[in-house]
Amino acid sequence: MTLTKRGSFLLLLGTLAVLLASCSGGGGGGGGGSAESAEEYPSDTITMLVPYTAGGPTDLAARSVATCFEGEFGQTLVVDNRPGAGGALAMNELINSEADGYTIKVIAAPATVITPYVEENVTYTEDDFVTIGVITEIPSVLAVSSASEYEMAEEFFDAAQANPGALNVGVPGATTSQSIELQRLAEEYGVQVTTVPFNGNAELTAALLGNNVDAIFVNASEDILDYFESGEFRPLAVSPAERVEYLPDVPTLRELGYETLTYSTSIFGLAAPSGTPPEIVSTLEDTLSTCLEDPQVREQLGENYVPDEFVGSEELRRRLDEIVSVYKPVVTS
Amino acid sequence: MEVFGNLLTGFEVVFQPTNLLYVFVGVLIGTVIGVLPGLGPTATIALLLPLTYTIPPEAAIIMLAGIYYGSMYGGTITSVLLQLPGEAASVVTALDGYQMARQGRAGPALGIAAIGSFIGGTVSVVGLTLFAPLMASVALRFGPPEFTALTVLGILLVTYLGTKSFAKSLITAGFGLLLATVGQDPVAGTARFTFGVQDLISGLDFIAIAMGLFGVGEILYNLEKENGASMVSSRISHIWPTMRDWAQSRGAILRGSVLGFFIGVLPGGGGVVSSLASYAMEKRRAREPQRFGKGAIEGVAGPETANNASSTSAFIPLLTLGIPSNVVLALLFGALLLQGITPGPQLISENPEIFWGVIASMYVGNLILLILNIPLVGVFVQLLRVRAGILAPIALMVTMVGVFSVNNNVFDMWVVLVFGVLGYVMRKTGFEPGPLVLAFVLGAIMERSFRQSLLISNGDPFIFFTRPISGTILGLVVLIIAISAFQFFKRRRATVTDELDDEVQR
Repeated sequence: MTLTKRGSFLLLLGTLAVLLASCSGGGGGGGGGSAESAEEYPSDTITMLVPYTAGGPTDLAARSVATCFEGEFGQTLVVDNRPGAGGALAMNELINSEADGYTIKVIAAPATVITPYVEENVTYTEDDFVTIGVITEIPSVLAVSSASEYEMAEEFFDAAQANPGALNVGVPGATTSQSIELQRLAEEYGVQVTTVPFNGNAELTAALLGNNVDAIFVNASEDILDYFESGEFRPLAVSPAERVEYLPDVPTLRELGYETLTYSTSIFGLAAPSGTPPEIVSTLEDTLSTCLEDPQVREQLGENYVPDEFVGSEELRRRLDEIVSVYKPVVTS
Repeated sequence: MEVFGNLLTGFEVVFQPTNLLYVFVGVLIGTVIGVLPGLGPTATIALLLPLTYTIPPEAAIIMLAGIYYGSMYGGTITSVLLQLPGEAASVVTALDGYQMARQGRAGPALGIAAIGSFIGGTVSVVGLTLFAPLMASVALRFGPPEFTALTVLGILLVTYLGTKSFAKSLITAGFGLLLATVGQDPVAGTARFTFGVQDLISGLDFIAIAMGLFGVGEILYNLEKENGASMVSSRISHIWPTMRDWAQSRGAILRGSVLGFFIGVLPGGGGVVSSLASYAMEKRRAREPQRFGKGAIEGVAGPETANNASSTSAFIPLLTLGIPSNVVLALLFGALLLQGITPGPQLISENPEIFWGVIASMYVGNLILLILNIPLVGVFVQLLRVRAGILAPIALMVTMVGVFSVNNNVFDMWVVLVFGVLGYVMRKTGFEPGPLVLAFVLGAIMERSFRQSLLISNGDPFIFFTRPISGTILGLVVLIIAISAFQFFKRRRATVTDELDDEVQR
């Protein structure tokens, strides 16, 4: 008796849930029919939210992935640019959309996981989305102008240690990984430089070219690599745990004795709202993996920055958790 | 010569058929909106800004620049025929131009204005070609302290020059600076003055503010005014000036070209200030100053030349330093940012197609304008028959759709509406929105570079005075304040604008 009762209660609950889901699906007017099974996915237009303005480097990267997805899925992919609030506006849009795989978002770590701890009005958490995989990762590089007296990283850090705060290091923004990493350099190793935030790479490189700062700590993106190529800038150290293949002679911060400073890498990836069926997440994961092998996509994204081995959903989640555990105490203190 | 090689690169950009079309479209739109009273270049560029990011950056900037200097031509037409300046820089042309029209000499007035504009624009673009690369090469010496000093000078000049009331301009500029502080702190990264609204964390959108104040504000304000096409009575004939006209205005055109070029480089200098300065200069130099205000052709030729020259040279600080020197250039600054391009010292090396493309486009644009204006004046005058009641709703629609398309954010549409109403109220009460918008743009640069400077100097404020360039600029700031204070006490009269206003009244 009790069993049947409980059974019918569950059935009722189930029906209600389906009804509610289909209602909100219709009302939301979002992606596609939510009641369909994961096997049919995708059968409708997919929206890809990009937390940057159209035309910027991240937007272009997202668009080349989107084009490949269209080919793989045979469905239209709409890139929806929602810049603002350190990516929080786009994230809110993602969280409020149906968890059916028809709305996905480009995420940018560390910003995506750090913003809620920096801005009290940003209320989402890292549990509100599920990760799909990494698109590109761009490490950071510490660089000086070629006229600088510092030939090697050791000389630079020795000078910083001898004269706390005397060396000025430009970073591309106030809450970037580079800025946080320099704060950790001071807190954990007692090496104090003055961090000067600029607005993006263009301003930052102008400041170094004009000798207004002693060094810059910046994403090793193509524009910066060009300055190394031309000999105007000299790389002193890179941020990842291992050396990068396109700057083979440049030591890592870890090699230089700063064991824990390995997180200043900008990771761009894809995410979906939490609650998205696991089968759909894994379909998206597989498709991303396939797309990242496409030579044309790799070229558009920058061969240097696409991980040699695909970084999938679980591994990306693990990395984000690690970033949160290391950076949260720094930004909230 | 390296310059010519580079300029050739620019012409290669311009002579691509689509870009040539954009130059043409730009100067044509510029002339048309110059004719339509009220709808000036600022409002038009603000309205068109979101549409430009679907086209390549060089095409966008070429077209928007064309609108700017094109409107300098168009604004003359209504000034002369109706004593109704189509845009601010032509206010002073109404003095003698309208008198000439009343004496049946509207043709020569418009002719000499078009020729003067062409010469002024061309002289200035030659100056731009030679001077801008030089400026770009020293631009890297401009660090945070220099940018701080430049923005202070810019805001000071914008509030001081070319406005009717210094006090009111100062208030609006102050308000602009305050608005610039909304959003993330540039150094600490925490949000300020957002009142819990997430959409404000990255600050107010400049484009939304500009479209509201200039676009919607202008539209609302114009709905109140009567349009006067019926006032155009006489047919315009004899556009070509006589030998005597030419002899009288030759000097004025040459002086206007040079004067306009130099004033345009100054922050706040483009447009109206240069035309006022040229008028004052011609009147002072004239053998019979009493002819001024009664139809003196040099009173048309000088200012019209100067405003074109200045609107061209005003591109120098934007293209080389990334500092917009007036509101229109602030909008162009926004247009480039929208395209993912940061105007600054590296523009010339990283985006030569934009740097040289826009310069080369001005040679072509000025020629097109000369060809358009001389035979087609009569056609443009007919535009005055377009009723504001038809124009306004269309413009408003374009505005709202346009601003949404920039960030796909409904919040920005509310910003436009709020600032639209504010812009209307400001105009009704004699506050000009120009200083507000420029202070908003420069304020963000000022705050960031001020704080960067203090970080670099470890908190020592003397960094602003001991570095030669920033020290000189700040010295200039002090000098301007001292001179104006001295003049104020001496004459108890505010600005040149006031005097000229009185003359318009008479």
